[in-house]
Amino acid sequence: MPRTAASLIKCLLMMKMVILLICGFSLQSIAGKGFAQDKITLKLENFSLKKTFKIIEKQTSFRFVYNDDILPESQRVSINVQAQPLDDVMKKLLERTSLTFKIVGNNLVVIAEAAGDANQDKAADFTLTVTGKILAENYQPLAGVSIVEKGTSNGTTSKEDGSFSLAVSDDKAILVASYIGYKQIEVALNGKTDISITLQEEKREMDEVIVVGYGSKKRSDVTGSVASVPKTRLSQLPVTNVLHAIEGSVPGVNITQTSSVPGSSASVLIRGQNTITAGSGPFIVVDGVPFSKTGSVTNDINPNDIASIEILKDASATAIYGVNGANGVILITTKRGTTGKPVIRYNGYMGFDNIAHMLDPLSPEAYVQKYADWFKQVNPTQTQTNVLPNAFEVANYNAGKTTDWLKEVTRQGIMQDHNISVSGGTKEVKYYLSGDFMKQLGAVKGYQYHRASLRSNLDANITDYLSVGTSLSYANNNYDGGRANFYLAAAMSPYGTLYNNVGNYEIYPMYPELLYENPLLGLYTDRTDRSNNLTGNGYMEIKPGGVLKGLKYRLNAGYTYVTTRFGSYRGRSANNTIGAANVSSSETNNWVIENILTYEKNFGVHHIDLTGLYSAQQRNYFATAFNGTGFINDELSFNNMSAATTLGAATIFSNYSGSYRDKYSLASQMGRINYAYDGRYLLTVTARRDGSSVMGANTDKYGLFPSFALACNISKENFMKSVAFIQDLKLRGSYGKSGNEAIPIYGTVTTAGTVRFPFSGASTIGVVASNLGNANLHWEEAKTFNAGVDFSILNNRISGSVDYYNTRTQDLLLRRNLPVVTGYFNILDNLGKTQNRGIEILLNTQNISGKDFQWQTSINFSSNKNRIVELYGDGKDDLGNRWFIGHPIGIIYDYKMIGVWQEGEDRSIDPTAKVGDLKFADINGDKAITPDDRTILGQRAPKWIGGLTNTFHYKNFHLNIFIQTFQGALKNNVTLTYADEAGRMNIPAETGYWTAENKSNTRPALSYTNSRGYGYASDNSYTRIKDVTLSYTFSKQMLDKLKLGSLTLYASGRNLYTFTDWIGWDPEHNYSFRGSGDWTNNYPLTRSIVFGANVTLR
Amino acid sequence: MTQMKKNIILLISICAGLQLFSSCKKSFLNEEVYSSYAPETLADSLGLEASVVGLHNHLSTFFSYSGPQGWPSVWHAGTDIAFVPPTQKQGIEIPYYDYNQLISTDGAASFTWNWAYQMINNANIIIKNADNPNLTSLTETGKKAFSSEARFLRAYAYNILATCFGKVPLTVEPLAAPKTDFVRASLDSVNNQIVQDLTFAAANLPDIDNVKSGSKGKMYARANKAMAQQLLAEVYLRMGKPDLAEQQCNEIINSGKFSLITARYGIKASQPGDPFSDMFWFGNQRRGQGNKEAIWVMEFENPSSVPGGITNAPQQRRNWGAAYYQISGMTICDSLGGRGIARLRLTDWVVYGLYETNDMRNSHYNLRRKFYYNTPGNAKYGQEVPYAGADTVFKIAPHTTKWYQFDPNDVFGFAMVKDFILMRLGETYLLRAEAQFKQGKLDDAAASLNVVRARANATPVTSTEVTLDYILDERARELLAEENRRMTLMRTGTLVTRTLARNTQTINPVLGLSAKHLLMPIPKSEIDLNKDAVLEQNPNY
Repeated sequence: MPRTAASLIKCLLMMKMVILLICGFSLQSIAGKGFAQDKITLKLENFSLKKTFKIIEKQTSFRFVYNDDILPESQRVSINVQAQPLDDVMKKLLERTSLTFKIVGNNLVVIAEAAGDANQDKAADFTLTVTGKILAENYQPLAGVSIVEKGTSNGTTSKEDGSFSLAVSDDKAILVASYIGYKQIEVALNGKTDISITLQEEKREMDEVIVVGYGSKKRSDVTGSVASVPKTRLSQLPVTNVLHAIEGSVPGVNITQTSSVPGSSASVLIRGQNTITAGSGPFIVVDGVPFSKTGSVTNDINPNDIASIEILKDASATAIYGVNGANGVILITTKRGTTGKPVIRYNGYMGFDNIAHMLDPLSPEAYVQKYADWFKQVNPTQTQTNVLPNAFEVANYNAGKTTDWLKEVTRQGIMQDHNISVSGGTKEVKYYLSGDFMKQLGAVKGYQYHRASLRSNLDANITDYLSVGTSLSYANNNYDGGRANFYLAAAMSPYGTLYNNVGNYEIYPMYPELLYENPLLGLYTDRTDRSNNLTGNGYMEIKPGGVLKGLKYRLNAGYTYVTTRFGSYRGRSANNTIGAANVSSSETNNWVIENILTYEKNFGVHHIDLTGLYSAQQRNYFATAFNGTGFINDELSFNNMSAATTLGAATIFSNYSGSYRDKYSLASQMGRINYAYDGRYLLTVTARRDGSSVMGANTDKYGLFPSFALACNISKENFMKSVAFIQDLKLRGSYGKSGNEAIPIYGTVTTAGTVRFPFSGASTIGVVASNLGNANLHWEEAKTFNAGVDFSILNNRISGSVDYYNTRTQDLLLRRNLPVVTGYFNILDNLGKTQNRGIEILLNTQNISGKDFQWQTSINFSSNKNRIVELYGDGKDDLGNRWFIGHPIGIIYDYKMIGVWQEGEDRSIDPTAKVGDLKFADINGDKAITPDDRTILGQRAPKWIGGLTNTFHYKNFHLNIFIQTFQGALKNNVTLTYADEAGRMNIPAETGYWTAENKSNTRPALSYTNSRGYGYASDNSYTRIKDVTLSYTFSKQMLDKLKLGSLTLYASGRNLYTFTDWIGWDPEHNYSFRGSGDWTNNYPLTRSIVFGANVTLR
Repeated sequence: MTQMKKNIILLISICAGLQLFSSCKKSFLNEEVYSSYAPETLADSLGLEASVVGLHNHLSTFFSYSGPQGWPSVWHAGTDIAFVPPTQKQGIEIPYYDYNQLISTDGAASFTWNWAYQMINNANIIIKNADNPNLTSLTETGKKAFSSEARFLRAYAYNILATCFGKVPLTVEPLAAPKTDFVRASLDSVNNQIVQDLTFAAANLPDIDNVKSGSKGKMYARANKAMAQQLLAEVYLRMGKPDLAEQQCNEIINSGKFSLITARYGIKASQPGDPFSDMFWFGNQRRGQGNKEAIWVMEFENPSSVPGGITNAPQQRRNWGAAYYQISGMTICDSLGGRGIARLRLTDWVVYGLYETNDMRNSHYNLRRKFYYNTPGNAKYGQEVPYAGADTVFKIAPHTTKWYQFDPNDVFGFAMVKDFILMRLGETYLLRAEAQFKQGKLDDAAASLNVVRARANATPVTSTEVTLDYILDERARELLAEENRRMTLMRTGTLVTRTLARNTQTINPVLGLSAKHLLMPIPKSEIDLNKDAVLEQNPNY
């Protein structure tokens, strides 16, 4: 491909240029003279004083404190100095004003009006020394806060521990404390000499600093579509997985928790499904280093360690993640130390986990009736001789013995989490250490999850130009334990036998029915399921200064080591008469190196920053598995595989012993230019180039992903100054391309797999064709246009953002089904186009903000419209794959059920149907029900999703209610189908069935065997009261008595109530029928109520 | 520190950072496949040997398929020999007795089609590699050995396709890229390909005593000359060339390699039984175990002692056996063949009309009709279970014992571990009889039939009694539950007439059977996916 080749050469040339330039700069400055940090170089023409001070603040560590009123607005200054000390520069700047200045501490410049000698002299009279402490709202000490006596230039800054000492004129003085990012506060001494001042954070969204790809930015300077997860969702919620905390809280992000199994994760879809076969989950980055594709799982992140979560959605924001950006990016930042004395914090909760919604099976009486009804429907000519089909059932029926199987397999779930962290630091070294233990005892017997994790984040300023740091984390996930089978419990006859005569679980409760085992047998099995994640990320940052000031080089090096270990043993008591063991383990090694070069410079009103990246990543995976059968007894479990008679034995349910290895590599380069004019106009241009090993061998494996974005802070325009009700108004627009490589490793390679076959009793190795490769496979590309507006109006009472986007994905990495005449079922191919269009709205309102009572509301809404634009270029649908042009990717294509055949109806349209069978619509009108009568019934993805959070504060009480909604989706309902097993299993009471007496028109007769494989598509829309948290924050006075830094107590409930028409355990959850899928995922939604405390020691 | 030092550090750092990628050339992104073979590494002797083993593995998946448990019933129920007890149906077999439901999305048709073309593709790869003139590490004979085994199995798959679907697309070369413009080749060209492959195979395959040896002795399950000849005989019969078919049968019979089992042998020889029943005990079925009648036995082993011993969970025992343990006082045991669930039941024609009383194949060792309470301690222990009412439909249904199998460690027995006798000399005589009958050589046909009947102590047939129906009856008597009954009736065009005449069950009766069912529907998904050409559907589907 000549075009790609050309761009490759271009890129390499650019890389070379950059390196040359760096070297050039370096040589130049080496030749020159050393510059000290406190020297100022300025060349300004006709600037206001205020602006000038701001520029100095940006260049140096000096901070200015002044009262706006005293600066002469009209006066412009011009200055041209080279490496002058501040003293001289200030004198020059202020020479034609009536202002004086004073350098307080190391870097605070206080500017005051020169009130003549009297004022200066008065300094000598400052006899009263006031001491105190500056604290943030969370009682953390704040360092570097300026404290000035009002109306004077007399001031100081707070020390590391927040303390300060200032000599003031008298005990009526007023102190003004100010700090960037906090509201300025005035405190009258009123005779006190020891005061504690609490600063409130200034929560203007536009000023909030958020993390973006390879850096951070003030929200007002962001050009792309970046959503932040509200911080309130990161504490005080009983979540074990970070994704559970995000669910429903951010527009455009659809998180589905398909199971409540302790330790289960969730699936994420950002702005709809772009791709068909390729992975559609977002890319996760933790502390700037890739987390996805390292072998890590989201359970490895301790939610307590998270400081913030940002979600990048449009191409401009994600394009710098190139290959990984197409499905959105989640940036997670963990907590780090701040300057100040150590803060010791404990966060913990403990509570209960119970089934949220019981889908009751038929009662014993109804079960007997169901069997009679079933018998009559299946054998209309025969008479029922037994009350129930199986001997054990009949015996229990005669003895009047019933078992509540759901009660037997469930228990009181308990969850708890304990987290202790220490953070603090000096100017040179900052640290954050955290240890966590979380344990969840599932509501179904045998299920549990516990996690122990450690984190150590360290930042050290080695010299004024070199800083280094590490982020180390370790997590141990433990999902051990033999598990009860919830599916079987729901299906078991109430007249089944729970225990045998020696008090053990009866193996076949419905003997001689051998299809249904005792659902509790799993508790007699040994099972170990663990994973360890050790991640070490280190960085080194160099800021050379001098003429290279603004230049920063950062080297990130990350290593992730993930191991998993699984072992299971099923012995005699669990219905395996010879004993079967299997053990498996895996190891993933991943390294990533990133070179990031940034350069930042102001030229008057122009601000420019440049970012360059050169990175590489490689992941190696190796796994082994062992199976063995035939143990003398059950004593050794899976701990001695050499005690197995046959090693490598396989059953049809498990694979052979074996090993597997693969490798994945990624090389990337990225460049980004940010330009800002006067903070009003912002431009971002990026280009990323990625090469991935998974692409076809015939391609150069590289893809180039450019993007650009424009934003305009309209509220900063002069003409907007008079519009008082608008505080912030920003328009954003972006367009760009991102890629998707998410196909399996070796997906492009033709391979042959190994099989075994016995000859004369000897196991022999064979090979069979397994994958038809496609060496031409290249990138899937997504082009996204995004337009958005961010606003804050009515004195910041209402703020929010609205985004519209349109993503067109082309050259989809499609696993396309082939006619099997080819010998293969499918092949990966670049085919087709999809489109996702949508709108996202986020609205935050301060409804009431009284002194004692405040009420805030946050609403998010998003709607995504997904459609297939093209498949094979011939405008034809792909019926075989269920892909229809103009329709969404995930659809349900099935017969349309219009009722149940009733006695006396003309069934000639479906001659095989019996009374009580499902009646389907004759869609094509050919007077016969054929496969051609299947039609698109609806889409699997929701038409819209939303979240509503109401937060109420009354004095120290806070109440947070979060409601989540998911609307307009269809899902096949497994609960409604039981085909030919209806005669021997229990069914939910709620579903019901047709009988000659009760002529249901929605549910078929029990004899219905569903030979057409109808899926029972049902609307799975729901609205859920997801979280309610009531917390109490202790006041300063109470804390003083308790000698604590801070204390919050809370009670939190999750999944409290769900509004839905869905019949089943839960509309969000996926269930499997016996023999299909993974029954261990059949686990009801749980409702958790926990009580927790967040404590900070003094 | 001086500025110079700072800049040097910066420079070194960047260089070091970039240095890490000095290896970051194109090779950094190369994909190395560690755990699967690349096809090009399999073109030598050992690679071809493993590829052929792969074919046998794939072959077995046709018989061990168990996703839909009713799979074996597809080929027997709804024909003249069996019906499906209403409560025991599974699903996949339903359209094969309620023929109204046999539509183009049919699961069994789709599986058969897919299985055959996967076999054909794997065979094509071997044939291409073995025929490659650049392959010099093998002798011509060595090459032909691999090629002929692959051609035999390719022909086996095409014969199933031609029998079940008629005209089908013909592919004889492996594909390197997707193809979606297949058309159905004429039946003649499909048949010619099969004949060509089998002729080559018959000429180049070893006879059964000269098959390769593995680590535990001769691999009798590998392809031999007689297998190719017997398949060729069947193909010629289907093609209407009975003279050629007879010739192939004669070659097998006259080779002297095989002989009918006429005396007791093997692991049950000292227990009550007869020579016919001896052939069907696991442990007796193979040539190496004394079964000299066997031409082709596909072997399975218990996977708990031989890794890879079965390829799936064969359902034959469960389909053919009776669910006797559902009678109070009956317990699952080995002599009753383990746990059956009677997904099909023999038609009354088979149970009451097919056999003479003295026919060995009708002995209670081969066709169980009586049951005795066997639960120790039961009051009626040892007494006969009364034979009446609904229980005879599947609980104490008369059934063939050919698929009996019991593993005390797996009483539930989802899988059956047993060999499959795919070809034996008994059938060779029946194929010859059919070929002779078609040529009008009625005396010869009667003589061929009588070889088989004599072994079974059945009354000899006279030449005037020989009709196609008689031969098909004899096949049912001899090959019940062994041959693929549906394919035999489709091959001979007798599915509709024989089924309607002999399967007159009133419980779950055969419905909607008509002439179109002599062919199965071409899978709709194949028609849909073959988007660049029309893959024509069989008539009336």
